[in-house]
Amino acid sequence: MPIAEFIQVSKSFGPVKAVNQVSFAIEQGEFFSLLGPSGCGKTTTLRLLAGFEEPDPGGEIRIGGEPMGGKPPYERRLGMVFQSYALFPHLSVERNVAYGLERHRVAKSAIPPRVERALELVRLAPAEFARRRPAELSGGQRQRVALARALVLEPELLLLDEPLGAIDLQLRKAMQLELKQLNRALGITFVYVTHDQDEALTMSDRIAVMEQGRVAQLGTPAEIYESPRTAFVAGFIGDSNLLEGAGGRRVAVRPERIQLLPSGAQPSGGASLRGRVEELSYLGDRIRVLVLLADGSRVTALLHNEGQLTRPIPWARGDEVQLFWRPEDARPLEQS
Amino acid sequence: MRRLRTWMLLAPGTLWLAAFFVVPMLLMLGASVLQRGEYGGVAPGFTLQHYRRFLDPLYLHVLARTILWAAAATVACLMLGYPVAWVIARSRRHRNLLLLLIVLPFWTSFLVRTFAMIFLLRDTGLVNSLLLSTGLRHEPLTLLYTPFAVLLGLVYGLLPFMVLPIYASLEKLDPSLLEASEALGARPTAQFFTVTLPLSLPGVIAGSLLVFVPALGSYVTSDLLGGAKQVMLGNLVQSQFTTARNWPFGSAASFALMLLTLVAVVLSLRLRERDAPRELAR
Repeated sequence: MPIAEFIQVSKSFGPVKAVNQVSFAIEQGEFFSLLGPSGCGKTTTLRLLAGFEEPDPGGEIRIGGEPMGGKPPYERRLGMVFQSYALFPHLSVERNVAYGLERHRVAKSAIPPRVERALELVRLAPAEFARRRPAELSGGQRQRVALARALVLEPELLLLDEPLGAIDLQLRKAMQLELKQLNRALGITFVYVTHDQDEALTMSDRIAVMEQGRVAQLGTPAEIYESPRTAFVAGFIGDSNLLEGAGGRRVAVRPERIQLLPSGAQPSGGASLRGRVEELSYLGDRIRVLVLLADGSRVTALLHNEGQLTRPIPWARGDEVQLFWRPEDARPLEQS
Repeated sequence: MRRLRTWMLLAPGTLWLAAFFVVPMLLMLGASVLQRGEYGGVAPGFTLQHYRRFLDPLYLHVLARTILWAAAATVACLMLGYPVAWVIARSRRHRNLLLLLIVLPFWTSFLVRTFAMIFLLRDTGLVNSLLLSTGLRHEPLTLLYTPFAVLLGLVYGLLPFMVLPIYASLEKLDPSLLEASEALGARPTAQFFTVTLPLSLPGVIAGSLLVFVPALGSYVTSDLLGGAKQVMLGNLVQSQFTTARNWPFGSAASFALMLLTLVAVVLSLRLRERDAPRELAR
């Protein structure tokens, strides 16, 4: 049984449909990401699950098989981590973490050991941090406290709303790994909202890509990257060249699947196009080549630098080239 | 250059206060320890008898009543004002209108509004006419010239000073803190006492001070609505300087009033320091 289900869920704010007829299921223990640009409805979807918003009539949200209609957040027993951390500024770190335990009337004597364990889980030394106020912590430390505060209740479902958005890149990479490890080690289902495709690809078991209140595609990172269903998904997850395929159907070709051949070469089996090199960008491990086609459109090819490209780079601006890709790398798109 | 500019900016206000606040205060202080003049004013000769006079049960009673009423007015303003401030802070569309309504009474003079209360409360006033005409009572209810009337007047006049600071601190309250507490299992009541109230405490303290201090020193309200029976410290000061012509005792009463105010201010500062989040301690 899935741990959470959305069945035909919509949410309108006045005339705006923030979430539009969304149906999907989240499986026990998985790392599930809601990915999309700002305003796509991903945060509203998370807030519906948490109970901060009620779905429009007709839709239903179930958690653990139980319909959540009208159930306030404080009865849903979920963990939630906010983008702004939302730590209580008037309480020390340990009182912040103890807050949920106190509300659930956990025995007084059982609280300190559980707080300590939760802090250790997120790698904050209790002796050093327990007595501090949130204002005395760095952004990364605050995020850890927010995580400990949610995890101490041992929820089955942990909701995270862009929790790493305000943290610098270096730390963010480390936290991504740690979150994924926590998800695996604790067996808690993570529902993760992000607009960062790299983050979603790195951590998720499955991703729901959202666009204008709808789920544009749901699948594993590999499924979504390899077979984007629409032009939007193809463009949002990684880069894609959108081209006219056989029979006028639109196809998407990933830049790293395109090979460059000298003009006049005749590759066997596969599609090819002629063009002229317009721009070359040397990126170290890769070289990005922008090719101008005869019809005025542009195609990006990403060449892996395995040593063969450096001395000298075989292409120069203005060169006539032949673009080539295998037929299975041209992914047909649905009209969205 | 910068220092000179700072001094030039400070000078007018400082001189004003020195001339019209510090000097009169010193004059009053001097008067309070001198002999009483025969036709008002003061006569030479140092004495502390005017301060000692406060130990007389008659004046201790006035002192106690002043503190009690000011405290009662503060509590009543808090009870009435907090929910109002909360609603205004939560409302989006009508916020400005509601704030305007809160400060609307300031558009007329306090004296006029106090006289209006008399029309409301007296035996032939609006309240009693309604009670009599509907047959709810057969004799008019004595409302005017009672402690109740004084309290009503104080609360009416000072309520905005409680609402506005509380509103300001509630308005700053981060909504995600409320959601975080809900997600952690806090029911509305628990949420109020563990998050909303503690975080709006600076507003509560500021509002209480803004109500308590003027209530301590009020005399128009107690004079007009309380009659001669309900004397507060402010009325005592006034009568000593006017009808009783006892300037030294009036000055001493003024300083007693100031002392009470000082105690209230110091207490509230202490409270604030203890409860303020230590944001500057980084």
